[in-house]
Amino acid sequence: MKPKPLSSKRSDTLFSLLLDLPAFLLLLSFIVVPIVDSVIKSFQAYGVKNIITKKPGVWNDFANYLYLFKTDDFVGATLHTFSFVIGVVLVQFLLAILLALILNSNIRGARFMRSVMMTPWVVPTVISALIWMWLFQPQYGLLKYLVSLVTFGHLSDFAILNNPSTALTGVGVAALWKQIPLMTLLLLAGLQNVPQDISEAAMIDGAGKIRRFFSIILPYLSPVIKVSVSMSIIENFKQFPLFWTMTGGGPNNSTTTLAVLSYREAFVGMNLGSGAAITTLWMLMMIAVIFGYNKLFRVQEM
Amino acid sequence: MKKLLAMLLVVLVTTSILFAAGAAEKTVATEKPVTLKVANYALLESGYEQFWKNVKVGFEAQNPNITIEWVTAPYGEIVNQVVNMAGGGDKVDVIFGEIDWVPGLVDTGLAAPIRDILPPEFVNDFYPDVLKSFEVNGQPYGIPLYVSPYVLYYNKDLFKQAGLDPNTPPKTYTEMLSYAEKLSKLKDANGNKVYAFGQTTASVPVSGASLNAMVFNFGGQVLDAQGKLSVDNQGFKDAISMVQLLDQKGYNPQNAKLKDLRNLFALGQLAMYYDQSWGFNGVKSINAKAVDFTASAEPLKGGSGSGESLLQAHCFILMDNGKARTAALSKFVQYVISTDVLNDYLRDLTPAYPAKNSMASMESVVNNGILKGASPAAGRVRVQTFIPQISTLNLELCSLAQAVTVGKQDVSSAIEKFKASATVKISQ
Repeated sequence: MKPKPLSSKRSDTLFSLLLDLPAFLLLLSFIVVPIVDSVIKSFQAYGVKNIITKKPGVWNDFANYLYLFKTDDFVGATLHTFSFVIGVVLVQFLLAILLALILNSNIRGARFMRSVMMTPWVVPTVISALIWMWLFQPQYGLLKYLVSLVTFGHLSDFAILNNPSTALTGVGVAALWKQIPLMTLLLLAGLQNVPQDISEAAMIDGAGKIRRFFSIILPYLSPVIKVSVSMSIIENFKQFPLFWTMTGGGPNNSTTTLAVLSYREAFVGMNLGSGAAITTLWMLMMIAVIFGYNKLFRVQEM
Repeated sequence: MKKLLAMLLVVLVTTSILFAAGAAEKTVATEKPVTLKVANYALLESGYEQFWKNVKVGFEAQNPNITIEWVTAPYGEIVNQVVNMAGGGDKVDVIFGEIDWVPGLVDTGLAAPIRDILPPEFVNDFYPDVLKSFEVNGQPYGIPLYVSPYVLYYNKDLFKQAGLDPNTPPKTYTEMLSYAEKLSKLKDANGNKVYAFGQTTASVPVSGASLNAMVFNFGGQVLDAQGKLSVDNQGFKDAISMVQLLDQKGYNPQNAKLKDLRNLFALGQLAMYYDQSWGFNGVKSINAKAVDFTASAEPLKGGSGSGESLLQAHCFILMDNGKARTAALSKFVQYVISTDVLNDYLRDLTPAYPAKNSMASMESVVNNGILKGASPAAGRVRVQTFIPQISTLNLELCSLAQAVTVGKQDVSSAIEKFKASATVKISQ
């Protein structure tokens, strides 16, 4: 008996599912499985020895999680992470939109500026960290020299990364330098899609620049803003290379973020279980932040 | 047909992506030739590459059936590299590294007792006290190429400029402070401040080891013989108070890594500093003329301490990969830790002290001008108890030093906070 041929619709469905297969398998293999594996290990006594000897970890009655709250490190790292994310994302957004508006205003040399502006974005993060570390170097850094010059020698020991109350800002400056170009580019693309006729109609109706910005440009830009700010939140929430290269979490743990703390636990202390416990809580926080952000900034259909 | 082709393409792409990364390297089993995998960060560091390349050429010429395969990664990543490889079933045979890496690698089950691999006549030639520094549960787990306490390097030219005798370095912390007062008034040729005394406090494990050595200078301790935290001693408190005093007086560059101190010293902006003896290679690579103005002295005596220091060593940590490879490994270790191979290295690249009797009269050690002043200190080192969490403990020591310097905290309360945190972390 001849098999019944598939209907065109079923055939198309099957075909589309097959086309989705690679993405699904990649997602499963490289994202879902490692995350689940990490969550499982966060409940186990699991060290490097287990990897070497191929012995499975042993359930340890939430010891990895309890351990995190026996010192101030986890709470401190959480505060540092949130301070960094909020500070960098806010400043980044404000500077990026300002730059995007300038570049969108057909000033002379805008095209050249757009190309040059992207340079920090293409520089690898570790290289950016090294550049800023040397600029901030407390004994022979360029910034120390410039600050001393500008203040006529009154401030001759400028060392932003050496002071526990300013070190986080120092890393934030490096993060802004690296990340502002991309956000500016995204916002600029969004600005160029704002319908000119509506803006011109508002202008004829007597709306000033500020009114047009808040009532026309910003609402039209909101989908782009939402995506670019989400990307920035995620990028800075998981920021590791800048911290590790520039400060290593110091001075006095003032730049120890969740990323630095989990790395220290897992790869300096060689305790993969407690490292996994930090990353699990860190991931849950990140999900909660992004969920809350999406809920708060629902995009209005224009 | 088009759909079929598209499906085949999809399957092909998926399988290639999924399995390409995990493709295991297959080696053909052969009878005699052996390949030794040597993990070595030094190949990525300027000045050392040629020496290790020559080691490979020389060793392979002597042992045609053995091939050296380097496994490299930067200094801070090489242990992770070795662990990750071992996790994937690809264990290296030996890692060239620091003595402080030994306990962690023993805890992972990677390091093998050296007596299981090396012949007794070779091992017994090493100084017993030095070998004792590598012991875990009574068995040495690493074999040193050379050793050194933390030595005090000083700039003779700056001493002269400050009106101090360049041939009479300070012997105690009290003397050092009086020297520092004069030295800190100097400026370099460009008008930059000259720091009087450098003690690393940055957030890296080696800075913690250096702070531990300073505690030994004051007769204190960080761990007891059982590996338990033991900081309720005057020597510990005196050492941390000294770190604070140096900062308050502006003598010590804040939060500096050893490489920062080497930079400053090479540029004539630092008069004295503590370093591992081989740190001088870093100084020389920045300023070749540093040879002319550098001298070394013994670690300073502080409080009721006798200026003891912590033994530091560059060593081989061996791994057992079966009979054929361990036999080849034994030959490799014996080849490298020999007068023939290390003489030029210790003279031209890395000033340090030999770790075995038969190398004691090496020309490069006997005539080493840079290390001459610090030589008596070589016999005044203390063994630090090994615990697997030694790197974590060292980082905690750095945090303590930063708390009393840039953090402006009171010494006693900072020590209490350190105790609470370190006790939890080393018991994990």
